[in-house]
Amino acid sequence: MRDRASELKVVGVSRPSLEAERKVKGEPLYLADMDMPGMAHAKVLRSPFPHARIVSIDASEARALPGVVCVLTRDEVLADSTIDPYYGYVYRDVPIVAIDKVRHEGDIVAVVVAEDEEAAEDALELIDVEYDELPAVMDIAAALAKGAIQVHEVFKPIAPELRPIEGTNICHHSTLAKGDIEQGFREADHIFEDSYSAPAVQHCALELHGCIASVGDDEITVWTNCQSPFPLRTELQRMFNKPARVIVPYVGGGFGSKSRDRLEAVVVAAAKLAGRPVRLLLTQEETFQTFIRPALTCTVRTGVKSDGTIVARHHRFAVDVGAYSISGARSANNTLKVATGPYRIPHVLVECDAVYTNKPPSAPYRGLPTTQHTMAYETQLDRIANELGLDPIELRMKNLLVEGDVHVTGDLLRSVHAKDCLEKVTSSLGPQFKGEAKASNGTIRGRGFSCSIKYTITPSEPTLATEAEVELQEDGLFEIRIGTVNMGQGVDTMAAAIGAEAVGVPIESVRILHSDTALVPQDHGTTASRATFHTGNAVLDAGTKLRAELLSTASDLLEEDEDRLELSAEGVAMVGSSGRSVSFTDIARHRGGSLSAKGECWVGGVYTDESGKEYPIASTFWTFGSVGAEVEVSRETGEIRVLRISAAANVGKAVNPEQTKAQLEGGVTFDLGPSLFERLVWGDGGQLMTSTLMDYPLPTLHTMPEFHVDLLEFPYDQGPYGAKGVGEMGGVMVPAAIINAVYDATGVLFHEVPLTPETVLAGLEAAEA
Amino acid sequence: MTKFDYVRPSTVAEAVGLLEAHGDDALAIAGGTATVLLLQKRMLRPELVVDLGGLPGLTGVEQNGGGLRIGALTPIRAIERDATVRSSYGLLAEAASQVAGVRVRNAATVGGSVCFGEPQTDLPPALLAMNATATIAGSQGSRDVPLDEFFLGPYETAREQGEVLTHLSVPTPVPGSGGCHVKFTLGSPENKPVVNVSALVTVDASTGALADVRIVMGAVGGVPMLAHKANDTLKGERPSDALIAQAAARASEEADPIEDLRGSVWYKRRIIKVLVERALRCAIERAN
Repeated sequence: MRDRASELKVVGVSRPSLEAERKVKGEPLYLADMDMPGMAHAKVLRSPFPHARIVSIDASEARALPGVVCVLTRDEVLADSTIDPYYGYVYRDVPIVAIDKVRHEGDIVAVVVAEDEEAAEDALELIDVEYDELPAVMDIAAALAKGAIQVHEVFKPIAPELRPIEGTNICHHSTLAKGDIEQGFREADHIFEDSYSAPAVQHCALELHGCIASVGDDEITVWTNCQSPFPLRTELQRMFNKPARVIVPYVGGGFGSKSRDRLEAVVVAAAKLAGRPVRLLLTQEETFQTFIRPALTCTVRTGVKSDGTIVARHHRFAVDVGAYSISGARSANNTLKVATGPYRIPHVLVECDAVYTNKPPSAPYRGLPTTQHTMAYETQLDRIANELGLDPIELRMKNLLVEGDVHVTGDLLRSVHAKDCLEKVTSSLGPQFKGEAKASNGTIRGRGFSCSIKYTITPSEPTLATEAEVELQEDGLFEIRIGTVNMGQGVDTMAAAIGAEAVGVPIESVRILHSDTALVPQDHGTTASRATFHTGNAVLDAGTKLRAELLSTASDLLEEDEDRLELSAEGVAMVGSSGRSVSFTDIARHRGGSLSAKGECWVGGVYTDESGKEYPIASTFWTFGSVGAEVEVSRETGEIRVLRISAAANVGKAVNPEQTKAQLEGGVTFDLGPSLFERLVWGDGGQLMTSTLMDYPLPTLHTMPEFHVDLLEFPYDQGPYGAKGVGEMGGVMVPAAIINAVYDATGVLFHEVPLTPETVLAGLEAAEA
Repeated sequence: MTKFDYVRPSTVAEAVGLLEAHGDDALAIAGGTATVLLLQKRMLRPELVVDLGGLPGLTGVEQNGGGLRIGALTPIRAIERDATVRSSYGLLAEAASQVAGVRVRNAATVGGSVCFGEPQTDLPPALLAMNATATIAGSQGSRDVPLDEFFLGPYETAREQGEVLTHLSVPTPVPGSGGCHVKFTLGSPENKPVVNVSALVTVDASTGALADVRIVMGAVGGVPMLAHKANDTLKGERPSDALIAQAAARASEEADPIEDLRGSVWYKRRIIKVLVERALRCAIERAN
């Protein structure tokens, strides 16, 4: 392909989402708007206990209730020899409905299918379940205690990288090492050790989880708001031994809570039993019992020279994956790569334990757990700076990774510019106050900064390549087919811009078809800031191939050399003013009605630099960024107000700059709640206390700071037009920046989130005492 | 939601008759902002829902000789925006403006807010600070209940099952009075209060002393609570920083908060102290 990067016409131009107007008018159908002929409605009977054996289930009264179609319990699942009752991508540990025991409050015990939701709810009350309660392990410490009851007596790992410790609740233990950690600490002039914790929270996407399933003799069809339709299809086909089609309409926000499925197999089993389509829509209360961000604890030990050079870092963390390791163990494992941050550290040891507990299953949470790692290592850096009498910005500048460094994973880093990001946020926000903040009205102000590094999911199996198709159709328009899920993040607009740019037509000439496994090619999932890089590259590949085909076909039709032809909105014309041209419609007809090309994005393996040296690829790109926060702390109440946030990231190339900025703002906003007040709380009996939005506050307009967002565009050689992913980057640095700003204001460094007014006031008073 | 019958009576007598006849099986609803949520969660399972929304003459506010008459069906939003309430009963308008969000205030009624008996809400403390009286209609006629006898416990009031609250009467504050309502929340100011404080003070123009003080604390016990010790500390005295701090400390001591998701007892007492100081300073300034 010729290098047209300097003359981009579509990529790099800000525009509203292609679907924005239709969404504002209420035209697109979301899952809850959908109805199917003969559709019945499901409601779920959930466990009231966090851990119990099921002695018996009697659903006969429920089945007899008028309006009830069927009731799915373990008996029906086990009686159907064509179904594998267990699913999971990492551990095959999730039963469709509870079989031997329930493992968290809200665990699925039975499903009622009825003519309407009210009848289904009536029937739930008629199901008689006898439980034999077991002790519950509600946090990491309890689950790791000697003699703790096992949430799963038998481990059933299926992912090759998993290393459970038999006889414990540790479903995965892993390490990442570089250099010699003991040697590193011997070289250090000072050693700092701190422990940190962050509780479970929930994503609270605007659209709640839901699923519609229809099971025919030959095929399963599922409409769902899952973020990963292709892995879901594969899993459903395996479990039900039947071809499956997964259709994902527009999704009203996922943030990781929908990255893996929990409901789909349940609804498919119910629809199979009912013999008609079945819809299940969860309530907000049920989403709190479906997927949560796991709690995390960590201890960070850092060795530094007196001049601030970091020489050793030992980072130990434990992730509470909950009752089922649907993605918790793998997420934890993935963040080994970034646990030590965007710093050059010669001696590193990272240790991870993923721990089963009796909480609901965990899901990724917009960058999780990069956010908690960043909170730990960035706030410790401010403590180190303070105690060594160094400037926190200069301390970071001294240690940040630079272009061409080799990361702790062995990856050769390109398109880094972490220092530029930090410089940007300090210049737009101003430096820390260094204790000069003025107190007024009992409030005091401070500024804090943080830096981070984020990986993406890089599967190495070739079956997980991301593919895309671009097709010229008879109406002269180009259809781009992608497996990526549109959850409001702007993916259609990104793919349309890259496709239009690659083909050489205006964006108005393209339309997007997304996330229907029967109609679009495969993608691993819309997670981990993947889409712009992976889908963008696949669309670029397909568009480039199609452009060549168009020129070649037009060359035949016009009997002219390709280098004398150019594309316009209507077709291919001769350069100059001869007026000779052929329309896209005619090219399509000439090629039998349409003309398409398939593109793909392969990742993994090794990267070879110019000298021929090979580096492993642990992540196909790395995103770097910085956040600065200015806060006001009330000495009377402990309240924190975030006044200003400055965020910067090196995005490689912003495909749609205003939308890219909005992604950073959205990421920051997303993590304000968990930084300041969001947390899930379970009572002594293992029951969720914060079970509704009445008791689980979320950020509102009142919480919003003033934003300043800078995009740095240092092109990444592997990215489409130089682009990298940025969806998770804004949020992961927020808790650290806020904690550091409070430290700057008050001199008190917190080791936990959320910084509720009570936590802050207690911390301030303890420091004074 | 469980199945129930629904009736919308057109007179108070009819409503009273239905509620009396069906007893605990009937649920009276007005704006429905609280009760419909409980119906949806099946926490309320009535056989009959009596929708009071159609009762005539119970909507709106009216200034008469001695005070303000507030119809029970008046939306909270109307209290917030009514010119008379704002000018002469500013404490009520201020408390009303802090109840949840504007969409809730458009639907929720004053009577519903009072009869629900929820400890974590803003209008009842303000009404109690203003010494309001509730008028309740029953089959034997109407009775008046002063608000300090109306709230009996969490979600429990003096209104019997066969009765309908028709209106509230609020005496006009004497000249030299000022009121203030302050609320402390986690997250959004639309959330339920961790604690709240309503204060109504009357300053004697000639001496500058506090002729009357009514501080009411909300969300610190089962019912809105008059801070008697704090009020007595201030009454007859000229307000000073030290005296206000002393009164706030006493209010904090006499409050009876419980530990819950919104905070510990220690923290709630600390916030009560801060809020009482803020409300007093603001009310005294307004009185002058």
